[in-house]
This record gives sequence, C-alpha cells and structure tokens, in this order.
Amino acid sequence: MAGESKNLAVLLRKKGDLEVVEVEKPSPGENEVLLAIDSVGICGTDVHFWTHGEIGDFIVKAPMILGHESSGVVAALGKGVSTLKVGDRVAIEPSVPCRKCDYCKGGRYNLCPDIVCGSTPPVHGSLANYYCHAADFCYKLPDHVSFEEGALLEPLSVGVHACRRSGVTLGSKLLVCGAGPIGLVSLLTAKAMGAAQVIITDIDQGRLDVGKQIGADFTVLADSEDGREMAKKIESTLGCMPDISIECSGVPSSIQTGIYATRSGGVFALVGLGPSDVTLPIVNAAVREVDIIGILRYANCFPTALAMIASGKVDVKPLVTHRFTLAKSLDAFETARTGAGGAIKVMIKVADK
Amino acid sequence: MAGESKNLAALLRKKGDLEVVEVEKPSPGENEVLLAIDSVGICGSDVHYWTHGEIGDFIVKAPMILGHESSGVVAALGKGVSTLKVGDRVAIEPGVPCRQCDYCKGGRYNLCLDMVFCATPPVHGSLANYYCHAADFCYKLPDHVSFEEGALLEPLSVGVHACRRAGVTLGSKVLVCGAGPIGLVNLLTAKAMGAAKVIITDIDQGRLDVAKQIGADFTVLADSKDGREMAKKIESTLGCMPDISIECSGAPSSIQTGIYATRSGGVLVLVGLGPSDVTLPIVNAAVREVDIRGIFRYANCYPTALAMIASGKVDVKPLVTHRFTLAKSLDAFETARTGAGGAIKVMIKVANK
Repeated sequence: MAGESKNLAVLLRKKGDLEVVEVEKPSPGENEVLLAIDSVGICGTDVHFWTHGEIGDFIVKAPMILGHESSGVVAALGKGVSTLKVGDRVAIEPSVPCRKCDYCKGGRYNLCPDIVCGSTPPVHGSLANYYCHAADFCYKLPDHVSFEEGALLEPLSVGVHACRRSGVTLGSKLLVCGAGPIGLVSLLTAKAMGAAQVIITDIDQGRLDVGKQIGADFTVLADSEDGREMAKKIESTLGCMPDISIECSGVPSSIQTGIYATRSGGVFALVGLGPSDVTLPIVNAAVREVDIIGILRYANCFPTALAMIASGKVDVKPLVTHRFTLAKSLDAFETARTGAGGAIKVMIKVADK
Repeated sequence: MAGESKNLAALLRKKGDLEVVEVEKPSPGENEVLLAIDSVGICGSDVHYWTHGEIGDFIVKAPMILGHESSGVVAALGKGVSTLKVGDRVAIEPGVPCRQCDYCKGGRYNLCLDMVFCATPPVHGSLANYYCHAADFCYKLPDHVSFEEGALLEPLSVGVHACRRAGVTLGSKVLVCGAGPIGLVNLLTAKAMGAAKVIITDIDQGRLDVAKQIGADFTVLADSKDGREMAKKIESTLGCMPDISIECSGAPSSIQTGIYATRSGGVLVLVGLGPSDVTLPIVNAAVREVDIRGIFRYANCYPTALAMIASGKVDVKPLVTHRFTLAKSLDAFETARTGAGGAIKVMIKVANK
C-alpha cells in the first residue's frame, strides 16, 4: 500500500500495564474498511479495564488495544464495500452484531449474544493509527462535523438510547443522576427531544456547573446518601416529581434516590453500572408503577446522534476538556482516571504528531 | 325501605380481632347504589390486615369492615343513577378514584392519590349484607355469569392488568412465579391472550397440580432459593428463556429467579409484594435490558375480565375451593390464612343463611 506507515496502538498488556507500542497493521476483510484513526475519546470502561483488568464477566486475559469512541478516514476498502470510498471521514459504531439472530433481526442488535465490541475483551479497540471495521457500522461525517464530534457520537448514542427507552418526549420533566459525560449527553438529548425541564444531580459542584452551562434547568448537589431525603430535595427544587429519571452513576444510593424521586407511573432508566447486587426499595417502585429499565449501549442510534450534531441542534463540543497525542496516552488515561483539572471527556488526537 | 333487614358485617376491630357484628345499614349517596351483597372472596390482603393490622403505610387505626372481591344485587338507587336498576346483578370494582387528577384523566386511575378502596384503612370493605358503591364501578353481570364469578372478577382484573403491562401477546412464552390465586389468574389470562407456553413455579406441589389442570404447560417446584439455579431449571424445562415473567409471590428469591430467568430484552412484572427493600441482581437485569415493571391493582380491566368470563374463554370456577356463610367468617379467614385443605380462593356466601 502506498505511503505505508507504522501502526502504533495503546495496548493494555494486563491490569495496570498500559503502553503505546507498534502492532501489525490490519487488512480489511470482506465488507470491512481500513481506517486511519483521527480521534478517540476515553470512556470510563477503558479506564476500568486498565485499573481493574475486568468488568463483570469480561476479563482481560490477553493484551488488548483499548478505545471505542472513534472517528477517522477510510484508507482502504475490503472486498464488497460499495457504501464508502477512500478518503471518506467517518464515525465508528464500535460494536458489530451477528446480524442473524432473533435480536438482530428484531432490531435490538445491542442484545446480540455474539456481538463483537471493540475494547471489550478479547476484542481489540480502535485506539491505534490503523483499524479495520465493518463498513456498515461506519457513518460518513458531513464536512462541517469535526472528527472529535464524530468520536463523541458514541457516548451521545448512549444518551439517545436511554432517552428513547425511557420515553422522553415533548414536555417531559426529567431527572438525570450524575453529571459526567453520560449524564451530560442524556441532558443534551433530553432537551433536544423537547423535555420541558431537566434537573441534574452530582456529588461534584464543578460538574453541576457544567451541567447548568449546557442547559440543565436545575442542579442539586448529591450530598446525602438517604434516597428519600434526596428525592424530597429534588421534588422541591424541580417543583414536582420528575416523570422520568435517568441514572448515570451506578451508585446504589443514587439508584435508590432515582426510584423514590420518580413520579408514580413514571420510568427509571439505569445507564450507570455499579455493584452487581443492589438493595432497592422495590415495593415503593412496584406499588407506584415506576418502571425500572436497563440500558445496554445503543441500537440504531448513531444516525440520530449524527443528525443531532449535523443540524446544530446539539453541541457536544463543550464536553471535550483535555486533548493528548497518541504518544501521551498514559497521561490521557491518568487524567481520565482522576478527573483532574475538571476533566470530562479526554480526547486522544491519534492523527496528530 | 320495605323489607328492611339487619346489616351484619365482618368487622376487624383491630389486629387479631375479627367479629361478625351488626352495623348500620348504609344509604346510597349521589351516583351510588345500595347493594345486597351475595358473594365475597377473601384476599391475602384481608388476611394480612387481620393478622398484622397493617400493610406498609396503611394501618388499621379504627374498626374496619373487610372484603373487596364482591358481587351482589342492586337494592336501591342513589340520586342521579341511570345506568343500573333495582334487581340488577353486579360485580363491584372496589376502588373509586377521584376522577379529577392527572392520573384519573390519563386513564391510570389505579395510581390516583385519593383512591378510596374497600378494606384498605380507613375505608370499609364490602363483606356485609348491605354496602353502597359508586354506580359506575358496578358492572352488570349477564344471567349466565354467577355471583361467584362476579366476585372473582377482582383478582382476575389483577391478572389482566399484569399481563397487559407485561406485554403478553400471541406467541409469548411466560413464566409465572407462584401458583396461588394471583398466579393462577395470570396463567388463565396469559393463555387467553394467546401465550404459546406458560411455565409456573411454586413451593407447593398441590398448587402446581391445580395449575397443570387449568392449563399450565409446565410446572417447576421452587425447591431452591438460588435464583440462578432456578432460572436454569426453568430454562431447561421450558426449552428456552421466557420472554415475560410475572412474579406473584413477593418472595425475594423468587424475584431474583424472575430476573435471571427472563430472556434479554424481556419483561419482569412484579405483582406480589413482600419486604420493602430487596437485594436484586440489578446489573444482570440492566445489561440484558430486562425491564422490571410493578403492578398496582388494575385500571380499565373489569370490562375485559367480565368479557373473558362471559364468553366462556376463561373458567375461574376451579379457583373456588371453600365456601362459608357470613356467620362462619372467622372459619373462612382461618382457612384462607393457613391454606388448609388445599384452599385457593375461599368464598363467603353472604346471601346464604
């Protein structure tokens, strides 16, 4: 291939052992494209695999390239690809399902038992100079949408999926628990969907301030682990109980708060994941018909997320607070891990030298 | 009024103190009817108020007539009643909402905060010779539908509400946890809605045998409190994971089983109520998008339940195992409490001497 260059990647050899190394440059298979990666955002799960070596049943047993919030340029086409051409700028939806099972055929491909997810062991992620991916899971970016915005489509899609499943619509009154990147994209999406008011909670005032700047109507500091107490505070600040709550932290006290706070007949969506088993006020939820729904990644959300960004309806650019080159990936991960300097989304500019 | 007779009622004076006493005969208010009660089924909640004096925030602070699963004959009309006439045989929907709040106007009147519900303190129930009720919450029974079937419309409506909220439809594969009256009406309703297969669990083999007789495709004895183990047993017996699980016992281990057993993307509905706070495998539910929906009584279900019975599509008669006169109410409640003699639904024949 003309202009061949080496392929550097951020490789997690095992828990705690992360290094930028040269790896083999991949070749696109049938229906795949080879991508020259431009920007990759760091997700909490990437950090967690680095610090803990596992998430639930997914254990890092062999070296794995991290990263799954990516965008880049098509560098070569595999056999059969007709929807993209070399030079196209794309955002990458990182998980490719089997396409054949009942979940895939029914449109809920996020639940495919054979889904292949970048940066979930044992599958390599996209935090490298070169990466191959299914062509139909790469979405062409309009010229005015940046590579960073392309990389942000991944977390934004989580927000779209959460807001859709929880029934956010015109006039909704929404509680978002947690003002990290996922809480913030849920806030942005809810507002774009016509939510009348959004109230957001967090343990960190700085994050609440960012929430306020990008559109939250109210913020409440989560300074109590008493779910009922927090629910009262939320109700009195918002002026009513929210119809919908989207929990983005995974913290048990926040989940309890979300249940107590939600209006009867409403919906409580769980995006954040924490301990496997949590004590819940289940009778309170059941007798008030507050439905508890889980959110696993997204399905059929990237096109919507892209349309939101391309139209200008949603601005995700404020979420990127720190940028690093690929060579400085360890610093990037450390910043993402500690949240130092008010870090929200840390972006690795792979294409920069 | 011609032919006036005394009004005997099963009065719960306080926890543990139940007696059949004479009470004042009520007069129908505006839009109400006076009913000569015929049959009243005993519900687990009636028994619980008798044995514990409270359920959650509802505490028996003053003497209260029990009973809310009733049918009878219209004996007199209150002012403004035009939909019923004296002599009409009716089933009584025991909860009358405010009709003015957002829940009522939106059709989810079961969530009305000002709901007046028979035999939920401080509201008197209908286990008496005479009882008054809102005319529009009394449903006229066709001649071929018995008073006992009329009384059974109440628990059957719980089954209708649960199956609707769970999304039971043609082809559904349903797990019902618990084969008491509520589990059994859910089984009957699910089958009537076109469920392809229903598998039911219980700790009592006798109850499972009844379930098998009335239509369960499979039964599994709940002989383990290990949710994952029970889920495996259910899956291997049914041949697949159920799409929908309807939990009718309230027992924590059964709720956990329901979560583990349900297919990804499916629904677990919680009908049974047990301890307020339960430790649940919430990440398992969330990452598989198994939605958890609570069920609180019913709304707009009585007409459907009546149509099911009147058409012959559903036969609830096998559920009634024991009958007592009003004078023998204490024996009736004791039988309901212990489940002695294979008791499922104990019916009090108020109109019999």
